[in-house]
Amino acid sequence: MFNVRRFLGCAAAAFGVGVAAPVLAQTAEEDTARALHLLSRATFGVRPADLADVLAVGPDTWLIRQLEPAGIDDRKLADRLAPYSSLTLPIGDLYEWYLPPQQLIQQLRVRVDSTAGPGRGRDTAFTRQDLPPELRRELQQRSPQRLLGELVHTKILRSAYSERQLEEVMTDFWFNHFNVHFGKALTRYMIADYEREAIRPHVFGRFEDMLLATAKHPAMLFYLDNWTSIAPDSLRSDDVERGRQMRRIAGLSDRQKDQLVGSGRLSREQLRRIEEAGPMLEQANRRLRDRGLNENYARELLELHTLGVDGGYTQQDVIELARVLTGWSFVPPRQPGASLPRPLANVEPGTFVFNAFGHDTHEKVVLGERVVAGGVEEGEAVIRMLARHPATAHFLATKLVERFVSDAPDPAFVDELANVYLRTDGDLREVTRALFTSDHFYTTDVRGAKVKTPFELVVSAVRVTDARVGPSRKLVETLRAMGHLPYNEPAPTGFPAVSEDWINSGAMLARMNFALDLAAGRVDGVRLDAARVDLAETKPDAALDAVLARLLPGTETEALATAIRADLERNVEAESPGAQLARAIGLALGSPEFQRR
Amino acid sequence: MSMINRRAFVRSGGLALLALGLPPEFVTRSLLAQTRGAARKKTLICIFQRGAVDGLSMVVPFGEKAYYAGRRNIAIQAPGRENGAVDLDGFFGLHPSLSPLHDLFKRNELAIVHAVGSPHPTRSHFDAQDFMESGTPGEKATRDGWLNRVLAETDCDACAGRSLADGAAHTADHVAGQTGMAMVPALRGIAMGPALPRALRGRHPTLAIEDLDNFGIANGRDASLEDTFARVYRTGNDEVIGGAADGAFDAVQILKAANLASYRPASGVRYPQGNFGRSLSQIAQLIKAGIPVEIAFADIGGWDTHQAQGGAQGQLARRFDELAAGIRALYDDLGDRMDDVVILTMSEFGRTVAENGSGGTDHGHANCMFVMGGGVAGGRIVGDWPGLAREQLYQGRDLALTTDFRDLFAEVVHGHLGAKNLETVFPGHAIDPAGWRGVLRG
Repeated sequence: MFNVRRFLGCAAAAFGVGVAAPVLAQTAEEDTARALHLLSRATFGVRPADLADVLAVGPDTWLIRQLEPAGIDDRKLADRLAPYSSLTLPIGDLYEWYLPPQQLIQQLRVRVDSTAGPGRGRDTAFTRQDLPPELRRELQQRSPQRLLGELVHTKILRSAYSERQLEEVMTDFWFNHFNVHFGKALTRYMIADYEREAIRPHVFGRFEDMLLATAKHPAMLFYLDNWTSIAPDSLRSDDVERGRQMRRIAGLSDRQKDQLVGSGRLSREQLRRIEEAGPMLEQANRRLRDRGLNENYARELLELHTLGVDGGYTQQDVIELARVLTGWSFVPPRQPGASLPRPLANVEPGTFVFNAFGHDTHEKVVLGERVVAGGVEEGEAVIRMLARHPATAHFLATKLVERFVSDAPDPAFVDELANVYLRTDGDLREVTRALFTSDHFYTTDVRGAKVKTPFELVVSAVRVTDARVGPSRKLVETLRAMGHLPYNEPAPTGFPAVSEDWINSGAMLARMNFALDLAAGRVDGVRLDAARVDLAETKPDAALDAVLARLLPGTETEALATAIRADLERNVEAESPGAQLARAIGLALGSPEFQRR
Repeated sequence: MSMINRRAFVRSGGLALLALGLPPEFVTRSLLAQTRGAARKKTLICIFQRGAVDGLSMVVPFGEKAYYAGRRNIAIQAPGRENGAVDLDGFFGLHPSLSPLHDLFKRNELAIVHAVGSPHPTRSHFDAQDFMESGTPGEKATRDGWLNRVLAETDCDACAGRSLADGAAHTADHVAGQTGMAMVPALRGIAMGPALPRALRGRHPTLAIEDLDNFGIANGRDASLEDTFARVYRTGNDEVIGGAADGAFDAVQILKAANLASYRPASGVRYPQGNFGRSLSQIAQLIKAGIPVEIAFADIGGWDTHQAQGGAQGQLARRFDELAAGIRALYDDLGDRMDDVVILTMSEFGRTVAENGSGGTDHGHANCMFVMGGGVAGGRIVGDWPGLAREQLYQGRDLALTTDFRDLFAEVVHGHLGAKNLETVFPGHAIDPAGWRGVLRG
């Protein structure tokens, strides 16, 4: 419940400290300002309790605790997340449940049409309208929109309620750095796994490990097309024939294989390689006959993930790196009933596979370094080299400062962070610590200088008002309309971090309307109990001041208070006190002051 | 000059006078009058067919044997046969569901560009839409959209930084038709729908409007809230956020003053049911109210026909019904105003020449686009036809490309909107008017 007296209490606890003596007051004011600054950047929004916490233990101790998230009890969040199976289900299971709609319709058709069945082909005239109502409901429950709703909802839950706020913020940052897009076909089934396995475990680990984990993750392999990239000369027609033979061999019984080896026509080692890669070659034959090298991932690996666009690589480096990475692929999810040839039949869909037959075995030179011809280890070595490259350190430091400090990164601060990165061999815990403890971080001109992204606006509003969030169609729509629906940025650049990309006329209206809707209870699934507070019981001015102190701590709000007061006075007769408080909250959350952090 | 005043003059011309205490009705009315009188009256309406329309069903090359060889179940028959295409030039024909547009072709107001599209080989909807909207095929790092860059490049430099007194004199230049004027910049580029499409995003202010009747703060239900927010933003000292909000409030005020509610479609005009028809009728509403919208954008989806595409009837035919009914309604509703309007259709890529095993078509390469309007040099199929024989196809399966979409778009925005600096609108692309297709008259 949103209780004016409670905020008055909070406000007194938080700000009452400095009333004693002028000098002390000044120190306390600066302490508060620094604490608020830290919280506004290292969390998804300041709650009154967080401020008290930072002031009690000091910013550095608070930060050190946040850097060791395992030591922070987050069971309440775990309980909230428990009902959402899409966070933990294996990729193959997610695929089977949330099948692409056309395939799902065909699958459901089997249940109503006894003449249909595997092997009988598809009935293309059969559409969703031909399904009985209960199966149409199932179709809806299993729609990709449901999966998206769960992913977005759990992302909001984590961001709003996790006590491990810094881990959430950094997971958001690094996911965005290694962005993949829900909308690109198979990627959607892999996003939860990607965040859980490739990003989150490494946000306070080594960058190199995260880079390698993303490179081998099916979400990235699919999203940036590397799984389709094969050596241009690997699919000559005799190779195609060889591939057919290999697939046949791979599909033989163990006894038949033993006979083959026994007859001396095949060595054990050759058999092993065929078993590993034969089916992938078949897949390559079928799907990629007219393709060859795909540079997409190699280019983004250099441009977006490591060196940066000005990092000193050439188009030739892109090509050479793409050749290094040929054959990096994964076991695709399969339709229920379908099976892959035996060697892969029991391999979990989404598992990384190195397709030796699609790999370019010639020598390559990347950034002037010779890459000795080999297999998967070529790519691993180059990725390690990229992770250690000074340009990478500089590029990552710039992005961190841009996101967490200022739209115009101070070069001295960037250098400082890049040096920490290089000195610690890319230890992201050390880099993050340096980021949030540097004197550069606390300079007064960067305080309040960042504009909240739409997602930050939504989550900070939820946090500061202590709203309860359930699955909400309106929240998804709002975030989509504001162009910041999590997991839904199509471009590999990720969502932008600077204000000019987020601030435009239409976007401002959307922000104000969201604030009003949230405060007035018009966002389904979100409860913010402002209505029960009887404004008439408290002196209105004091109540408003308390609201503003709670929602915009440490901010100069005199002009805002005057405007809101005038608004409330104009509407005092038309609206109940509860509605008036909601109105005040909506105006405060929609104010220019609340758009900044 | 104080922050407020500087922002008022530089960013939004007149409307920020509200903050100085002038009566809003007076300001908006006079501003609207100025805007109506002074604005360049040209409008480009872009229609994005999301999902990749089958251009070979849209404009059927019935003179090609290979077309029928690859499409046993879904081909549109030649004109004269049952459910046949509408003959255009003895070789190409319109899908029968597009026959409402045949009039426009006969009046030489519809030019059809065939084998147009993006040179990038991607067959991903997301990448291809992104490229068509950023205007930079293959370059994923481009942040702004090509239509936004058109607006930015046609901004009147002389407007910026003027005081209102100078502005009055400068208005005369605009009236004389020298340059466009953007008293309310955000109204220059409007997308119909909940979100701003990629093509309109960027540094120039633009708006997404889902429902004109409820546009504004709290769906326009509460003037006091709107007022309070306007006051809070205009008097604040946050130039970045305040400047953007100014644009929004200006747009809201202008749209309010424009008396949009009096709009009725021209007699006999019926827009099709659904979002697409609604988007188009709202665009007509804006134009007929004298709002100087220069670029309007509407989406129509449902083109990704991998399965059961149908022929003269069926799934795809129904999409064409809606497309044609919508465009025809818009055309008739705008009437004479179509002399100042160009409608341009686009879709991210075409579809395979051959049908697939599910009675549909898969992702292909080049496509066709329509250019319509009073100033269009129409009645023609424009662009070189590459042919559909196997050796003529792109990668052995798709219609090859003979017109880069950027050349068509550049020609349209240059000829119709007077866009300058086309190499900035399409960075990395060589602009060569000599190679343009001549889709506009004059």
